[in-house]
Amino acid sequence: MAWITKNSGGMKIETRQEPYLTPAMRDTLSRNILPRYETKHGALLPTLHTIQHEYGWIPHQAMMEIAAFLDIAPSQVVDTASFYEEYWLRPKGRHTISVCRSLACEFCGQPELTEAIKKKLGIDVGETTEDGEFTLIEVECLGSCDSAPVALIDESLHEWLKPDNFLAKIDEARKHGAHGHH
Amino acid sequence: MPHPSNLTQGILTKRIPCWPFADPKGRHIVGWDEYTATGGHVGLRKALALKPDEVTEEVKKSQLRGRGGAGFPCGLKWTFLPKVTIDASGKESNAGQRYLAVNADESEPCTFKDRLLMDFDPHLLLEGIAICCYACRIPTAYIFIRGEYHHQAKVLEKALAEAYAKGLFGKQGLLGGSMTGKGESFAVDCYVHRGAGAYICGEETGLLEALEGKRGWPRIKPPFPAIKGLFGKPTIINNVETLSHLPSIIENGADWFCKQGVTSTIGGPPSFGTKLMGVSGHVNRPGVYECELGIPLRTLVESKDYCQGMRGGKKFKGAIAGGISMGVLGPDQFDAEMDFDIGRKYNVLGLGTACPTVFDEDTDMVAVARNIARFFKHESCGQCTPCREGSGWLYQLMSRIEGGEAKTKDLDLALEVATSMGSMPGTTICGLADGNNWAIRTIINKFRDEFEKRVKPTFVPVKMTVGAGARG
Repeated sequence: MAWITKNSGGMKIETRQEPYLTPAMRDTLSRNILPRYETKHGALLPTLHTIQHEYGWIPHQAMMEIAAFLDIAPSQVVDTASFYEEYWLRPKGRHTISVCRSLACEFCGQPELTEAIKKKLGIDVGETTEDGEFTLIEVECLGSCDSAPVALIDESLHEWLKPDNFLAKIDEARKHGAHGHH
Repeated sequence: MPHPSNLTQGILTKRIPCWPFADPKGRHIVGWDEYTATGGHVGLRKALALKPDEVTEEVKKSQLRGRGGAGFPCGLKWTFLPKVTIDASGKESNAGQRYLAVNADESEPCTFKDRLLMDFDPHLLLEGIAICCYACRIPTAYIFIRGEYHHQAKVLEKALAEAYAKGLFGKQGLLGGSMTGKGESFAVDCYVHRGAGAYICGEETGLLEALEGKRGWPRIKPPFPAIKGLFGKPTIINNVETLSHLPSIIENGADWFCKQGVTSTIGGPPSFGTKLMGVSGHVNRPGVYECELGIPLRTLVESKDYCQGMRGGKKFKGAIAGGISMGVLGPDQFDAEMDFDIGRKYNVLGLGTACPTVFDEDTDMVAVARNIARFFKHESCGQCTPCREGSGWLYQLMSRIEGGEAKTKDLDLALEVATSMGSMPGTTICGLADGNNWAIRTIINKFRDEFEKRVKPTFVPVKMTVGAGARG
């Protein structure tokens, strides 16, 4: 969960002409997702996932569009979007490295792993590299404690990590310039 | 003290190679064809031939207890749904819209058992869902899976697509519109709903809020979800592993199920059946093992069939009982039996998810306490003040103790904070704070000497008067 200080009435929302919630997305959501729920509000998480997946973050304009699309108040969208950690309300790097810092991982070598990544990328936890390639975060239990320590690069789980073998994985991700958002 | 087990193959892990039955190297995703060819859907067919209430009765008789952490009897939970009326000809009144929410939000640190089932044998879960939906007359099920389980969500989506294509789910009725004991077919829709990274959504009512598209703030109970749950409709929330037990229970009968596991030695309800136990930490062969409930932790750790001893031949120091919320077992509790009695017998909160993390003699228990306190501070949803504030204070106190800046009285303050927050003292809505305080309390109490070594003695000011005033 996250407490985020909300910007006040003076805040400016950056807008662009082109909608974030594209007609294709609206169509897919209307046909496949909305009918699954009793209320339109019920489809909010899947809708936010769609935007997060496409753009890597959820711009304010997208939240306004979602509110109109689902017939709910923008504040309801912000309320939900700001609560869940997977939704980024600010842009992040092209790839996200999420190191598990929970119990089994910490006591099986995670602190050394995090240090090695920080050193390699020249950033601290929570920061993004200057070239915009990588954002490094620490997350709670990834549910793979038997192969601790573990980390995600975007959506792929990497297990039994040692600083060396993981740093090579980071290089691989950089090489595969593929779209890494999730 | 080895646990006598008659099992020659796994029950939940029948199709997933697992020690001690088979080498995990042969694991693969079991598709529809392989699933049906290996005894799949036998339980469901048997269930559909019965009346819904007869299925519920069998599950009740098995005394299957929820595998998500609380151990609440599954069949009993189902009976809390509103009753349907059945007329003289045996025709049921329409139960109306009800929901099943499958709790696949496995976020409890140290827990990774549901993941195994979703990784490799998704159709077992889907069959369990179908049985539950039929027994409870539920037409719509959502699998609420945590956001971090990207791969597992994809596996489930694919399995669901197969299940729809083969007619398990969908409007024609369960299993291609099979006639049921109700005298008609019964249709169920099942969807995957992905969470977005919030531990609190594993709490059943927090999960319902997230399904409704809201922030995952747990609800005050009553009303209980079985009466007023998702979108205000009667709702059953069951864990992945619990549901995965249903096919074999219906196939083989409740009496068969009750032959596995143990009865209570302290007059409590029994711990029947097998349980997936995911062992992590300082052991030679960590992993998920399917064991009968009641296996001693020592056997699980030391036996060559299971974890093959402590890593590097080190000594056992302690273990998380089953997910960090449950608290720790101390060095003298290595023989604790892994069943639902564990809470009362060994002064922990309970069996939880039965996934122990084992610590060797070199582990800094103050650091363990700090890690756990940080987790709860981070995951407190912020709704109830005692939890939101208390979890923050506990983290600060634990960090100060770890950094050598705390005083003896800070230990007592930590215990005081820990005992005054939670649903059990009645200061919070859900049990998150209970998990927090049990973890911190049991670590401090069972490893107090380690904490005392790290704190400075408290200077107690004594009122003294000197000089002229001293004479009176």
